[in-house]
Amino acid sequence: MSAGASARQVPRLLFYGRLVAAQLEMSTLTALQYRLGFWTEGLLGLLWSVIGIAPLFVAVDHLGAVEGWGRWKLVVLTGCFTILSGLFTALLQPALRESMTHILKGTLDYVLLRPADGLVLCLTCAFHPWHLVEVLGGLVLVIAGLWLGEVEVTATGLLAGLATGAAGLMALYAFGVLVLCASFRALQLQALTHVMEALMDFGRWPAQVFPPALRLLFTFVIPLLVMTSYPAEALLGRLSWGTVAELAAVSATLLVLARLAWVRSVRGYTSASS
Amino acid sequence: MTAAMVRVEGLCKRFSVPRREAGLRAALRALVRREYRVVEAVRDLEFSLAPGERVGFLGPNGAGKTTTLKMLAGLIVPSAGQVEVAGFTPSERRPEFLRRVSLVMGQKRQLSWDLPAIDNFEFNRVVYEIDPAHYKRRLEELTALLDVGEVMRRPVRQLSLGERMKCELVAALLHGPQVLFLDEPTIGLDVSMQLGIREFIRRYNAEHGATVILTSHYMEDVAALCPRILVIDGGRLRFDGSIEALRRQIRPLRRVSVRAAALPDDPTAMGRVVLREGGRLVLDVAPERVPEVVGALVALPEAQDLAVQDAPLEEVMRALFGREEAAEIG
Repeated sequence: MSAGASARQVPRLLFYGRLVAAQLEMSTLTALQYRLGFWTEGLLGLLWSVIGIAPLFVAVDHLGAVEGWGRWKLVVLTGCFTILSGLFTALLQPALRESMTHILKGTLDYVLLRPADGLVLCLTCAFHPWHLVEVLGGLVLVIAGLWLGEVEVTATGLLAGLATGAAGLMALYAFGVLVLCASFRALQLQALTHVMEALMDFGRWPAQVFPPALRLLFTFVIPLLVMTSYPAEALLGRLSWGTVAELAAVSATLLVLARLAWVRSVRGYTSASS
Repeated sequence: MTAAMVRVEGLCKRFSVPRREAGLRAALRALVRREYRVVEAVRDLEFSLAPGERVGFLGPNGAGKTTTLKMLAGLIVPSAGQVEVAGFTPSERRPEFLRRVSLVMGQKRQLSWDLPAIDNFEFNRVVYEIDPAHYKRRLEELTALLDVGEVMRRPVRQLSLGERMKCELVAALLHGPQVLFLDEPTIGLDVSMQLGIREFIRRYNAEHGATVILTSHYMEDVAALCPRILVIDGGRLRFDGSIEALRRQIRPLRRVSVRAAALPDDPTAMGRVVLREGGRLVLDVAPERVPEVVGALVALPEAQDLAVQDAPLEEVMRALFGREEAAEIG
């Protein structure tokens, strides 16, 4: 029998690297399959990014100081938000929607039968490449904000910013997994992805604008501030390593919870009848 | 003695399903306090399959066939009992196990709708870590057998149902599974495509020795492909054996038909009359009386089209599921 013979055992990390690359390639091939669709989606993606950032350019002259956030520092924050929002719409949102469709149609069976981690397969099963333009736009905003605000970014500040950003991204994915797990229970809960999108909008604003109770909620329960406000603060050199560690711990806890929820959901999976 | 490829002992699956009375009041009450009913989809199943066997699961809708198939594939976790497939516990879903099995569902597709099947195959090569040279050989072999060399280069959405099913089979077999689960693989296909798929499965089984487990509502599929059948009804195993053995137990009578210029006045003496219309007579006859009855029918004036057949499998199944006793047969 050829199954064992054909399977080349490679280190798991390398295998998952190849697997994610293959999933992204499939999504890119799908995007490229229809020329008109490709260019339309591209145009809409660009338009969407510009619309998202445009109000900032209009209001930049009128931005008042928000407790330690000058005009250009707010631009840095908006950049961080745009990066995260771009990653969400390019990577996580399409994967969540596709996975929920799999649950609805019963084709999750095929995903779960592949010899790889089902959660990794679900979280990388769809991708909207054009939305990565938003990420680039966000990067430009961060750099422009830092440049025009004459902020000197230190190596430790950059490292803390990247670490906090990574923690924020982990928190976002963990949150997405919890939403996906909820849709195993009731497909109507798919609407939670829209709630998630709406909630993410709070990430546009600095932590200081929220009253203490909301700040705690958006840091420890729905960690939106971990995703945007804190990475910006870290880049500006205003975040202690202790706080960075706390935020990483919040994200790690959320990831563990999400993983447990996934394992439980898959064990209870009944598969749609044919 | 060869170790079993599939071993099932005391397998049970219970689902908790919500229930309520009809009407708005009951619906509102269920919002606050929902009642659940436990449904036993599979009860105490026991069987084992040898490597390379072709086995058909038969049973009416909701009998528990697909649930059993999905427990064997590791998709559904059993409520009780033991399952072992290729030496693994399926519900653990270990990669080493998943590389040894494959599932094809006639009503659900694994191929991406917008892409040519060849792109999907390439994706499966990465997922199953198939060596490129081996993949090339395997793809050539399967595409030649199923005649999809050109078809696999067109987007899946443009393929006919039969072409799509052939591509689904290629995708499912590229990694060389030891156990192949087929859930209604020929559903909706025309007769020639059904024959083609059946022939392919038989040939694949013969050449690669893979164990094939099939569920199908088309009795011809099961009759043509599976020397052994497991009849499941109400979640219980009601028969395990060959189709011939099932026929002998449930409908032992042979069906004898003839066309003649004049029919006997009282054919009930020969057997049970199924049809008497114009010059055509169809009888169900006890096996030991067949030679005598055939002799009498041949002697009829202008006798022609004489045929002796087993009862159609559909009738056997109808008779089986129509029986009131729930006791296991055979």
